[in-house]
Amino acid sequence: MTDPLSPTDELDSLCLDRRSFLRTGLGGALFLGTVSLTAGLSGCATAPAGRLGAVDTRMDARYQFQFLSADDIELLEALLPAILGSALPEQANARRIAIAGTVERIDMGIHKFGPANQKELRQLFDLLNFGLTRVTIARVWPAWRDATAEQADAFLQRWRSSSIGLFNNGYMALTKISNVAFYGHQENWQLSGYPGPPDWAVQALPQFRSA
Amino acid sequence: MSFNDRIAQGLESGWKVIDGATLTENHTAEADVVIVGTGAGGGTTAEILAKSGLSVILVEEGRLYYQKDFKMDELTSYANLYQEGMSRTTKDGAIAILQGRCVGGSTTVNWTSSFRTPDETLNYWSKRFGLDGVSPEAMAPWFDGRETRHSMAPWDTAPNLNNDILRQGCEKLGFSWQIIPRNVKGCWNLGYCGVGCPTNAKQGALMTTIPGALDNNASMYHGLRAERFVMNQDRIDSLEATAMASDGITPTSVTVTLKARHFVVAASAIGSPGLLLRSKLPDPYERVGKRSFIHPVNASVAQMPKLVDPFYGAPQSVYSDEFNFSNGVDGDAGYKLEVPPLHPAMSAGVVPGHGDEQAKNLAGLPWMQSVIALVRDGFHEDSPGGTVSLRDDGSPMLDYPVSDYLWKGLRRAFYTMAEIQFAAGADKVRLMHLDSDWYSTWADAKAAIDGFAMEPHRVRLFTAHQMGGCAMGSNPEESVVNGFGEHHHVSNLSVHDASIFPTSIGANPQLSVYALAARNSSRLAQRLKA
Repeated sequence: MTDPLSPTDELDSLCLDRRSFLRTGLGGALFLGTVSLTAGLSGCATAPAGRLGAVDTRMDARYQFQFLSADDIELLEALLPAILGSALPEQANARRIAIAGTVERIDMGIHKFGPANQKELRQLFDLLNFGLTRVTIARVWPAWRDATAEQADAFLQRWRSSSIGLFNNGYMALTKISNVAFYGHQENWQLSGYPGPPDWAVQALPQFRSA
Repeated sequence: MSFNDRIAQGLESGWKVIDGATLTENHTAEADVVIVGTGAGGGTTAEILAKSGLSVILVEEGRLYYQKDFKMDELTSYANLYQEGMSRTTKDGAIAILQGRCVGGSTTVNWTSSFRTPDETLNYWSKRFGLDGVSPEAMAPWFDGRETRHSMAPWDTAPNLNNDILRQGCEKLGFSWQIIPRNVKGCWNLGYCGVGCPTNAKQGALMTTIPGALDNNASMYHGLRAERFVMNQDRIDSLEATAMASDGITPTSVTVTLKARHFVVAASAIGSPGLLLRSKLPDPYERVGKRSFIHPVNASVAQMPKLVDPFYGAPQSVYSDEFNFSNGVDGDAGYKLEVPPLHPAMSAGVVPGHGDEQAKNLAGLPWMQSVIALVRDGFHEDSPGGTVSLRDDGSPMLDYPVSDYLWKGLRRAFYTMAEIQFAAGADKVRLMHLDSDWYSTWADAKAAIDGFAMEPHRVRLFTAHQMGGCAMGSNPEESVVNGFGEHHHVSNLSVHDASIFPTSIGANPQLSVYALAARNSSRLAQRLKA
């Protein structure tokens, strides 16, 4: 490595002026790009998590992550209770399974988003995962694994009500991928009173009959 | 289980259909005409040219999905059948873009609304862009022909309640409303048009022109991405294409070279300008990708006293044009009023929110009704449209700044939609805006809309209709193709999709695409056979 600049110095100088800097989408995109790059240089885990141990992560050990890194998974595990609220089951084990399944479906969905939107999400996740920007931009003090649902909710509210479009966009991206992956899943259809495809049609159509 | 549908039978009978994911070696193929895209434009072109006896190769970036795959499931359909797994947006992320990416293109996932291009639009095109050949009289036989080919007729079953509430509200307020013509044959009235018709009732390209072309010896590659044209002097020599893996999104190392006498681009209003830009085709006035239109859509949801079950029944059957041309063709922004189907994932993506509040919003889905407004863009100097350009990786993206002119129209549409829902008996109404609450009276909603900041992201915006970017016109300084879709500068290239529209349509565009593609393909067939 020949880079003499400390990533921290570079980020500090950017953060000083972050409000005006983030006002334009272009500035925002450049800033997020810088974070992604420095996050990579400073060894943040941005590689897909691949197959995680079931005990460690409460995930289905057979699921192979294609996009989400171990850090992203921690972030989503912290955000999902705030995003899904009372729609999540209260019973601890059922709750863990519901969150884990939603994280996996988010990963499957993002895989199909293709490279361009994956790059945008990578920048968003890196900004939220990188300690310095988590504190200065998202204004969340604890690491995500230690953040409470109240802290996660306060973060979401800040980005939702912000006058900076880039933060509104980040709020929509996080809540949309989570809400779609959660409410769109068959096991959760009852939460929106959706009975599923009409039974008579399912009975009558060839694609629902097994070979 | 054996399938008796049109596609399964055709594949069995030996149609020339090649899945890019199965290719292991580079190869070259040749035909009279190579067509990029299998949607409304590409399918129509392929069938007409193949039936005239020309050899045809179709190229589709998405994959072939048909009845066996259409299981009325949102998540798998959005992931597989839509551009960028349903995550496509404009450059700044402020407008969600719903667009098909599969054999049949958007006609495989559209909600079947089948409108002729409004006379006002055609007359405006004739006058403003020197397009004498697209007058309502000249186009009438082409609309007739396509209405027959795609079994289009006003929906003769009772509208579902979601749509009927739009009718009721319009009736109460004295606004005009009409029944929507749909392209269906033996429709079961299920409500799953947007995730791939499970019964093959929808007469999109997948059930009509694509089988018609393949029956007439056309070949079709799917899972094959058109990368760029290679020019030889003023003509295109070949198309270079990349095979995609079976996930539909990962390119493999296999390249296919396609040679032809003539090339037709029908890759959508985002894909077609993208391909032309990647190919660096002659564009002396820099018109490619300019004047892109989207019918910007905003929405309102209502909580009704009666069960609506907005997930069941023909998704669109009632519309109102009360405000579409009421200020003239080129006055203040007009908008068409329609209704969207609401399934759980779609609703969870459209209604913004999180936490207990969002859980409550979605728990009310069976009583939810929604109205959408499609703003007619491109008819006014303050509505110049967006721009398609290329990302570093060569993929196309649409930048669409929303002008003050459009924001004014969108605000008026918010008022209209809320007023209609209250008139139809809504208990509560919520506008799709980050600052909107649920309002219990029309007066409260009106006061709130007065104060809405009309800004990107805060107003939730959508588009299901991408148009323009390779505009037709008589003047090469302000257009890419002539009135027959023929490229102004490349003699063996035509464009046959919604990208040739010089403005938006003012109605769901599938029939406009079918009709112009049919007209331009019939002419092309004569030209190539001469």
